[in-house]
Amino acid sequence: MVTISEVASRKVLAMLKAENRTDAALRMAIEGRGPGGFQYNLRFVKPEEQAADDVVMDAGGFRVIIDAASAPNLQGATLDYVEGPEGSGFRFDNPNPVWTDPKAAAVQKVLDDEINPAVAQHGGFVTLLDVKDDVVYIALGGGCQGCGMVDVTLKQGIEVRIREAVPEITRIVDRTDHAGGTNPYYQPSKGGHSPLV
Amino acid sequence: MHRLLLIVTTASYRAGAFLEAAGRLGVPVVVGSERPLALAAANPQGSLTLDPAAVDPAVREVVGFAARHPIGAVVAADDDGVILAATAAAALGLRHATVNAVAAARDKHRMREILAASGIPSPRFARLPIAGDPREAARRVGFPCVLKPLALSASRGVMRADDEPQLMAAFERLARLLSRPEVAAQGGAAARHVLLESYIPGVEVALEGLLSGGRLRVLALFDKPDPLEGPVFEETIYVTPSRLPIPAQQAIATATAEVAGALGLDEGPIHAELRMNEQGPWMIEIAPRSIGGLCSRTLRFGAGVSLEELILRHALGLEIESYERERGAAGVMMIPIPRAGVLRAASGQAQAREVAGIEEIRITVPIGQEVVPLPEGARYLGFIFARGQTPQSVEDALRAAHHRLAFDIAPPPAARGGGEATPEPQRRAQRW
Repeated sequence: MVTISEVASRKVLAMLKAENRTDAALRMAIEGRGPGGFQYNLRFVKPEEQAADDVVMDAGGFRVIIDAASAPNLQGATLDYVEGPEGSGFRFDNPNPVWTDPKAAAVQKVLDDEINPAVAQHGGFVTLLDVKDDVVYIALGGGCQGCGMVDVTLKQGIEVRIREAVPEITRIVDRTDHAGGTNPYYQPSKGGHSPLV
Repeated sequence: MHRLLLIVTTASYRAGAFLEAAGRLGVPVVVGSERPLALAAANPQGSLTLDPAAVDPAVREVVGFAARHPIGAVVAADDDGVILAATAAAALGLRHATVNAVAAARDKHRMREILAASGIPSPRFARLPIAGDPREAARRVGFPCVLKPLALSASRGVMRADDEPQLMAAFERLARLLSRPEVAAQGGAAARHVLLESYIPGVEVALEGLLSGGRLRVLALFDKPDPLEGPVFEETIYVTPSRLPIPAQQAIATATAEVAGALGLDEGPIHAELRMNEQGPWMIEIAPRSIGGLCSRTLRFGAGVSLEELILRHALGLEIESYERERGAAGVMMIPIPRAGVLRAASGQAQAREVAGIEEIRITVPIGQEVVPLPEGARYLGFIFARGQTPQSVEDALRAAHHRLAFDIAPPPAARGGGEATPEPQRRAQRW
């Protein structure tokens, strides 16, 4: 299923010992996809926090729990731990394609090639969450999260480009928690006074 | 179908509602904004960079664009864009209020001059430079009076003074606000003057209307059940339909139509604020645009049509099935900022949503950001929306939901020194 490198295994065991949680399991999941590929979530959980359809493996000294939805996309992946001048941390080497659905792959390409480089100028980014029944689900982050002009970005930019590139797409749904944005690029004010006027 | 040019600033609350309405109508939109949009290059036909302070070059840009991509209507979402919208619409020969009428409504002093000259009941008023001494003007206007900045809107900078010491304190405070670089740049010459008006007692209402060929259709009349008696004028609750007697409501509608006529406003949305007392209705302000903030969410017409769809249908010359607001009552609370500081947390939203009648709660200031109350502040903490059988039930729901919200506001950073103490407006007996 997933290969744990020796370095990663030693690091996990050391962390469990340091936290005095030697009975805990390592839960891994894919929680999204971004310009850099899959976005992973790693956390320690209690042994009983295991669902019936989870994939469980013994990593030698600790257990790994993988949720069912993430398992196919983690097949053959390797978890490593790297240290270097730019920081240290766990890293996945994953041979699986980010999207197997060609429509999702096409939408991701639009986001990677056009949308994200542009919104990055405003400190923002767009993550493709899923494509189901020709509906695209996205989440906006950074400067886009809670931005006063996010509807314009969505309807006049993201929707237009995705529909042009993948005409079968019928709808784009924004799943962002905009109230949770902490640094929106544009912020509304009483009277809608332009900051430039 | 020809395009809609939607002029909207990057500080607007209104873009989403208009774009949603345009989407329902299937109308392609070009958004005109003062700054380039993040995805302008991805959809060049979808946006224009238009500086509303530089109207002539902006209109040339619009006319050039329209030659390639025909425009069928121009609508401004906010105050800053209305003169540009009127000028662009005139250049393209489209349905819109005239530039002169819109400009008169935008200039609070010019509006007062026109209304007074037209014999419309008006407060005594005087325009004076912020660098001057207000005492002479106050003697002519009389106490109590209200100081209004010409360059700002939404009650920002508006203060009541009952005597000379209060006047001088308010005037100095307003001068400091208007001298801030961002405000001075925003207001230009208008930021160097203020308007002094005699205070008009009475209950305040807001009228949302649509003008067509000079005929006013009242879309909604909102009561403002919290007293607006100073020292600052923080708008909180709007509830419609009004609980004023029908003759009073009719008088308000008639007065609004007269004011619009005197100014020359004949097409498009208007948002008017009036006071009603034993002498009748008094126009406080009239703006050639629709209601601000997110407040339009309270309004639905006919079979659920939004205010924005109604406005776009009118501008595009499309059929409007009904101007009738839905049955039942609706309201919004613009959540006031209780004190200056840094917003650390907003809690109680789940409990507030459980209040019967509450439809939505939106906190619009991000956690970690500085909040400033009136008269200096320019933002709302957020909005609470409610619907119910009666205006009273809606008002009760809004108050109950607000009571369940808690805002953790840390003291402002001392280095900034911007947080002046604002007297808490006294909550007096409800009068509705």
